[in-house]
Amino acid sequence: MVTLGDYLFVSGLLFTLGFAGVLLRRNLIIIFMSLELMLNAANLSLVAFSRFRTNSLGQPNYDGQVFVFFIITVAAAEVAVGLAIIVALYRARRTTHVEDINSLKF
Amino acid sequence: MIREYIPVLLQALVAVGFAAGALIISVLLGKSGLRTQTKDSAYECGMVPQGEAQPRFSVKFYLVAMLFILFDLEIVFMYPWAVVYREAVVHSHVIFWSMLSFVSILMVGYVYALKKGAFDWKK
Amino acid sequence: MIPAPFLEIAVLTWGLILLMVDAFAGKTDRRGVAIAGILGLLVVLAASFFLTPPTPAAASGFWSFYTADPLAIFFKRFALVTTILVLVMAIDYAPAIRMGVPAANPHAGLGEFFTLPIFTCVGLMWMASAIDFVMIFVSLELVTMSFYVLVSFTRRNPATLEAGVKYLILSALSTGFLVYGITWIFGVTGETNLTQIGTVLATQEIDKIPLLFGIALVLVALGFKIAAVPFQIWVPDVYQGAPTPVTAFLSVGSKAAGFVVLLRVLTPFLMLPQVGRLLVGVAALTLIYGNFAALPQSNLKRLLAYSSIAHAGYLLIGVVTFSGAAVAYYLVAYLLMTLLCFAVLVVVGNSGGSDQIEDFAGLAKRSPFLAFAMLIGMISLAGVPFTAGFLGKFFIFDAAIRQHQTMLVVIGVITVGCGFYYYLKVVRAMYWLTPPADSQPVPLSALSRLTMTLLIAAIFVLGVYPQPILNALDQPAARATISMFR
Repeated sequence: MVTLGDYLFVSGLLFTLGFAGVLLRRNLIIIFMSLELMLNAANLSLVAFSRFRTNSLGQPNYDGQVFVFFIITVAAAEVAVGLAIIVALYRARRTTHVEDINSLKF
Repeated sequence: MIREYIPVLLQALVAVGFAAGALIISVLLGKSGLRTQTKDSAYECGMVPQGEAQPRFSVKFYLVAMLFILFDLEIVFMYPWAVVYREAVVHSHVIFWSMLSFVSILMVGYVYALKKGAFDWKK
Repeated sequence: MIPAPFLEIAVLTWGLILLMVDAFAGKTDRRGVAIAGILGLLVVLAASFFLTPPTPAAASGFWSFYTADPLAIFFKRFALVTTILVLVMAIDYAPAIRMGVPAANPHAGLGEFFTLPIFTCVGLMWMASAIDFVMIFVSLELVTMSFYVLVSFTRRNPATLEAGVKYLILSALSTGFLVYGITWIFGVTGETNLTQIGTVLATQEIDKIPLLFGIALVLVALGFKIAAVPFQIWVPDVYQGAPTPVTAFLSVGSKAAGFVVLLRVLTPFLMLPQVGRLLVGVAALTLIYGNFAALPQSNLKRLLAYSSIAHAGYLLIGVVTFSGAAVAYYLVAYLLMTLLCFAVLVVVGNSGGSDQIEDFAGLAKRSPFLAFAMLIGMISLAGVPFTAGFLGKFFIFDAAIRQHQTMLVVIGVITVGCGFYYYLKVVRAMYWLTPPADSQPVPLSALSRLTMTLLIAAIFVLGVYPQPILNALDQPAARATISMFR
């Protein structure tokens, strides 16, 4: 039997992997993929919470699932805008590595 | 719970086994023919092939793919809407007009993309 | 009498119409779009004074996502005023956009540059009304996403693109934290509505550790939005690289919205003492970092970026002490003085080409009016008496003393002294340094001159007569909301 804790563990793992990817990777595209992984970690635990936190009638709490829809669409829009910006950067600099993006002083 | 997934597992095993078996049998039983440069080249209906086997795609495809994802994903809101529509429309027509306004916002986005030449591949 | 949600619908529809006008306009001048946008927003601003009072106990359906309490109405007007001023700046900035966007059509990009702030404004207005985490998330993302595009708008400029990418990655990261934090709060309480979360927290015995984990993640995300230390790393680079009107919009609109959400989100979690202690620490760090890091700056946009971090610190003191009125007043003062500085910066930067403080040398001799406007903006940011900036700090410190937050007041007063040094550095450049020999007077359009005059007047009027702002939040219906923050 898969319990709520199992889902939350996997979701936490995904979130940590995504965060580690953002911190450690040097390619902008991969950093962006890691960010999406973090959002999907949240989706997984939202669905799990929604499924396991049933109301008195035994129905799932649908608020969480509706929130997942919003996260998915917002993430898609974010990817569209984000990739467009990264493509523009690649056209200007011929690189997507974060080390090469340093013309502003930090 | 896990037990219910055994048929899925079996099907996966059968699929992998069939593919692997076909490959192994063709190596064992088949004759390996002579290799010439002509034979190794890509088959293009008898024509001499032009260009590389993996041509570079135009960046325009990225734009189309992106627009497809954007418009495609908005469907997600229509499923729950369709599920409750029949019950809710009896009480008020707000549910109809709200989806219509949502779709018309998407329509504005589509017309915008059209006018800005996002679907114009030749440019 | 107009129902409150119609304000956003009107602004959104107007934005979509203008976008369509731009798409079909071909090669005509796009400044009409900006003018139409400004006029439309002015109409909505006027309409916001004729709203139907919200029905008090309508906390179901649509009204469980959306509230029209005085705090919300106040910040809707705030967003509208900010957007109008940003559009005025954007008209002045049009030549830089023409150079920065690669396209055959000389007007390419201008239409979007004028319509995107309108969509951002819708997001800000929804954020002011959001009382449900789903609504907060979606409106926050609407704002953030239009800022992604706006920040990297002049994409021929490498610094702008770089700023855009940095903003993109760090904002998306904060979104990830926000969503994951909301997930945990939802998991513990089973609710996304802030009022109901408050009820659950007050009535049920719940697991504190996952709840605090969720709140901490949400606070991290909001920390990014309001540029609080240690989540301020994106601010200087993004502010410096972004087109100047966008920087102004980011520093005022995005920050104000962050504070509204912070006030709303913190309301149900007040009974948790850990949250209060955390905020005090963040406020102190933000004040110290923002003010001291601003000292050696030589680029005016970067200086204003650090000053924006510093002001986030003062505002956080207001949040810690739950004085909603003081925060609201400070934000209005901050809007006036920051937008005034940026308006001058846009005009001077257009003629000079860069944003270094040296470029302002002798501005008082070249263009006395611009120099005077910048002087007023700077002394108000520093907090000289009889300006709005002074009263803002006064109200914040007053609230802190009443709450016995002595440490914060001491840090605040020391850092205000710091502020005098770096703000007056700009004033010194304008009034005491000699201009370069070949300098010309800076051209100034009538609309910008009028806007700057209004801003200067507002800074002085509010500096001696703050009641209109304080009263705006203190209507009888508002008492309930504000008492929650006290």
